[in-house]
Amino acid sequence: MAEEPESVLQLPSTAAAGGEGLTDVSPETATPEPPSSAAVSPGTEEPSGDTKKKIDILLKAVGDTPIMKTKKWAVERTRTIQGLIDFIKKFLKLVASEQLCCFCPILLKFIYVNQSFAPSPDQEVGTLYECFGSDGKLVLHYCKSQAWG
Amino acid sequence: MTDDKDVLRDVWFGRIPTCFTLYQDEITEREAEPYYLLLPRVSYLTLVTDKVKKHFQKVMRQEDISEIWFEYEGTPLKWHYPIGLLFDLLASSSALPWNITVHFKSFPEKDLLHCPSKDAIEAHFMSCVKEADALKHKSQVINEMQKKDHKQLWMGLQNDRFDQFWAINRKLMEYPAEENGFRYIPFRIYQTTTERPFIQKLFRPVAADGQPHTLGDLLKEVCPSAIAPEDGERRNQVMIHGIEPMLETPLQWLSEHLSYPDNFLHISIIPKQTE
Repeated sequence: MAEEPESVLQLPSTAAAGGEGLTDVSPETATPEPPSSAAVSPGTEEPSGDTKKKIDILLKAVGDTPIMKTKKWAVERTRTIQGLIDFIKKFLKLVASEQLCCFCPILLKFIYVNQSFAPSPDQEVGTLYECFGSDGKLVLHYCKSQAWG
Repeated sequence: MTDDKDVLRDVWFGRIPTCFTLYQDEITEREAEPYYLLLPRVSYLTLVTDKVKKHFQKVMRQEDISEIWFEYEGTPLKWHYPIGLLFDLLASSSALPWNITVHFKSFPEKDLLHCPSKDAIEAHFMSCVKEADALKHKSQVINEMQKKDHKQLWMGLQNDRFDQFWAINRKLMEYPAEENGFRYIPFRIYQTTTERPFIQKLFRPVAADGQPHTLGDLLKEVCPSAIAPEDGERRNQVMIHGIEPMLETPLQWLSEHLSYPDNFLHISIIPKQTE
């Protein structure tokens, strides 16, 4: 499978709830992550075979929102949508007062906003990946204005 | 079937007797009397507590009031969870009325979402409805509806109008004649004993061999501790709308009849009370 060239750039972890920083997806195995108490959830019920702690997210800009140079990220399952939004805002250097929303398109081929729903800010990306991921990744659209119906 | 329609009404009109008391550290100009209210199980706290807010704001100065928030025994109550879910999960083993403490200061940013307006509740509610339909029908039914139909779902909930709501919602409960049920069942399982907010996974209502899946099948697959141990005295109760459905209940039936207005089955796993 052809991979886009990815930079192996480590981001500083955010202090807020959501745990470790996001890491770029690189074709080689990444170096082990330093243990972080915030990202580990004790007592989770993971069925056997579900060993991936991180999931792949592909971020797409909608409307007049700036496009992120790196679009593909490996994210802890327990990171919340709010945590992800905060990260994107920081990455795009948006000011705190600017709103950013995240959508999950149901049909990957169509990007019509009115065919999507906006997950609640405290929803975990791992849950969204379980239910709406495909081809081993979760595609999320981000947008500056509340453009959905 | 008449009996099944009765279930829809019973679920919709479920109420929880609640006593709202102002937090003792709030600054008041006179004594604040508690306020009693029957809360609809299927609605959301910030949608049904305008009277509570007015009642307490009468004895406070404007400058001491910021965003209202609610707490039960030290736990901030998430307004974006249905009321019945919050009660079943946190307070069902305690005596009635449900005692909720009202705050106007020190909003717990880490625990609660802000609720700036009724529009925020509507946006959240519709988002859940859409997510449920994404699971049930690949969003086909919700997307074929007109904007006024979406509005009718919200208005029905907001104004406690069962018929108005179900005139539209019944379409979300249909499935193609050639199928045996929805594509996947929208459900969320909550426990206070884990760090995770809830469990939500893909789960079909019918097995590959055509056998209907039951509530027990679902729990065994995604939350086995809920029904452990298989042989012997169970440690937990499995509760929806304040009742414990039999584990043999078909999941498709539960989804059609015991879902909340957002079309999700919100299931609480609570430790059994030892006598």
